[in-house]
Amino acid sequence: MEQDNQTEILAIRNLTKRFGDTIALDNVDFTLFSGEVHCLVGENGAGKSTLIKILSGAERLDKGTIVVFGKEFNRLAPDQAMELGIATIYQDVELVTSLTVADNIFLGHEIKTRLGRINYAAQNRKARETLESMTIAIPETALVESLSPAQQQTLQIIKAIHINAKIMIMDEPTSSLGVEETRALLDLVRKLTAQKIGIIYISHYLPEIFEIGDRVTVLKDGRVVDTQKVRSTDLRTITRKMLGQDRALFYKRDHVQTREIALRVRNLSRRGQFEKVSFDVYRGEILGFGGLVGAGRSALMNVLFAADRSDVGEIILNDRAITPKSPREAIAHGVAMIPEDRKLQGLFDLRSVLENIVIVDNETNVLFLNHRHESVGVSDLINRLHIVTQGAQQPVGYLSGGNQQKVILARWLLSKAQIFIFDEPTKGVDIGAKAQIYDLMVQLTQLGKSILMVSSDIPELVSMSDRIAVMRNGVLVTVFAAQDVTEQELLGSFLGISEHGRGNK
Amino acid sequence: MTQFGAKIKKQMLANQWSFLLLVVVILSIIAGAVNPRYWWVGNLSNLLGQISVLSLAACGATILIISGNFDISVGANIGLSSVVMAMLMRTGVFPPLAALVGVLISILCASLIGAASILFQAPSFIISLAAIGVFQGAALYVTQGTIQTIYGQFETLGGVKLFNVLPLLFIVALLGYGVVYYILAHTQLGRCVYAIGNNQRAAYLAGIKVNRKKMFFFALNGLFVGVAAMLLLSRVGAAQPSTGTGIELQAIGSVVIGGAPMSGGKGNVGGTFCGVLLWGVIGNALNMMRVNAYIQDVIVGLLIIFAVAVSSLRLRAEKAMME
Repeated sequence: MEQDNQTEILAIRNLTKRFGDTIALDNVDFTLFSGEVHCLVGENGAGKSTLIKILSGAERLDKGTIVVFGKEFNRLAPDQAMELGIATIYQDVELVTSLTVADNIFLGHEIKTRLGRINYAAQNRKARETLESMTIAIPETALVESLSPAQQQTLQIIKAIHINAKIMIMDEPTSSLGVEETRALLDLVRKLTAQKIGIIYISHYLPEIFEIGDRVTVLKDGRVVDTQKVRSTDLRTITRKMLGQDRALFYKRDHVQTREIALRVRNLSRRGQFEKVSFDVYRGEILGFGGLVGAGRSALMNVLFAADRSDVGEIILNDRAITPKSPREAIAHGVAMIPEDRKLQGLFDLRSVLENIVIVDNETNVLFLNHRHESVGVSDLINRLHIVTQGAQQPVGYLSGGNQQKVILARWLLSKAQIFIFDEPTKGVDIGAKAQIYDLMVQLTQLGKSILMVSSDIPELVSMSDRIAVMRNGVLVTVFAAQDVTEQELLGSFLGISEHGRGNK
Repeated sequence: MTQFGAKIKKQMLANQWSFLLLVVVILSIIAGAVNPRYWWVGNLSNLLGQISVLSLAACGATILIISGNFDISVGANIGLSSVVMAMLMRTGVFPPLAALVGVLISILCASLIGAASILFQAPSFIISLAAIGVFQGAALYVTQGTIQTIYGQFETLGGVKLFNVLPLLFIVALLGYGVVYYILAHTQLGRCVYAIGNNQRAAYLAGIKVNRKKMFFFALNGLFVGVAAMLLLSRVGAAQPSTGTGIELQAIGSVVIGGAPMSGGKGNVGGTFCGVLLWGVIGNALNMMRVNAYIQDVIVGLLIIFAVAVSSLRLRAEKAMME
């Protein structure tokens, strides 16, 4: 197949990948031409990362074929992908920071002298040549740890060029870069295309697509919604396709109206993470927090739970200023945290469902355990929350993600918390459990509890929240009433696109 | 494999204790067949006395290991606290009082390791490794390297046998097991042992005062070690700086053989008891079978490797099921 005199170097056909019960990729078709920048966009969880992982050999595919330079594959191993010239530039820089630029470029295929020692002179000379050929001003003898994040990113690309990569996958390459650095990176991308390298470019910053993209593919819920030439589409069309028109999974909830303020936050700041954040939460309200990953939402929640300290600012709970110094003190004030990373921050995976549930309540009340009292309380919660388990004594590590989430929620119900912080409440939770968790959240509001909900799932934000606070680069930019905001407006506000910026301060 | 064999294997994987007890029984049967005196009351009573000191050290190690910590300076700690006890007794201090001072020193030593590990956020394994030199050096300094004998002054604890059978030492050891069992199974403190060992970050976020609890675990270990030093002194009637050397590794070994992972978060004192018993029975049985002393070391080592292999296979099988 030919397009503008370019040859097709990669074709993915009918690719399907499942993780347990969830379909991560569903019959995906995707092609890449040499010298093309093919942008891949979609919400968090749309399947972009899974697709990358399959192409780089980190995940196996269940069904479908991958054709690279005319050769057909049913699966790719990491070394195979590398040999075929597929290189992935990840968000997190993967370099050995204690070695020099040249050492990193040659890592794993060093130039050796006849005696088997590394020939540093030759390596440095060749590294210099490669860097100069791309007009990049990084000294080849510098230590990688002394380079800026942008330079490190560039070095990763140079490394890929050096091993003769013909297909480069870039995962959010500009997410940690400033304006100037982003421009330089986009220039570099153009140079790569001039060398006939095909690039799969993933970015949350949609305007970039229009700057360098040739084609754009929109993924949603593991399916390809559309592949278009960038020239013949626009931002609005792409955002609409990212969000989709499917409203079937939307949650219809009862809203509990109160005007009684439960929690006031004033001018709360933590250096380098968020600045002068102020907002109120009412009793019985769900206040959603939207924004891009890294906008400072989770950092804010960690401070409210006193897992991290604030630099300045006030937290006023029920008209009393509080200054909790540890999660223990925050818990004593009735604050609860359902963390994003359950495994690392919430669960005791080797311990039983019972122990996981009673740990917080016992910690503040009990010296000697009352096993009968515990098991009555726990089996009541297991029934109420529909936790699927073989029993209260089963280690919680055996439970599904949704049931683990319910166990953590049960922990806070038992300890009678007043303010619930949910960080990505349904991440890694199957659809059935999702609805049950939503139900529980609504029940909490009916009991007069307040909920702060960080979510990157836009439909979840819009359907569950009473109001939605949007954070961007550590600043709370605006608060929308959930019933008057569209998903496009919300996404526009996350990205800082002015045409959707109604209500921005 | 036959169905029966498969069932045995399943049972062994399901329950660490049944496997360890099975090994103990098999060893006993062999030893008894070779030398009927193995089953004599005198020998069994002797066996219980032999494992008492190790039992107490293993009690402390059980709490530390489950909570994700280590103290490998236990042997040196026993050396230091037992020579202090003996020296005080020799200068005429009322023996129980001298023993109490020794136990307090042991608690202090163990607490210092905990404090340093928490303060510097360094692994307690390394801190306690360094502490071995500190404790042994201190013991050598105060004794000038001499052996401290106290024959006749402090024999009751080590010598008395209830009904001429049950050593008092073993009663103290059982008391230790009972305390650890009660803490782990029936107190919130025990829940904290498991929680901190399983996921320290999550424990902190659940409102547990992690540092304070860890300090307490180390101090408790010091108490067990101090009592172990007291028992050892009473049994042997003498102490020197090298007294107790190597017991920490046997104690850690017993806990791990008993089914607790080195990374913590799981385990119980019943497993530790079986581990200690296995260790004691192997040594005693080989003696009764008159195996060459050098070969004994080889066989003990191999049997322990076998026991550890089974318990780690079991843990791995469990982990695989979780994923």
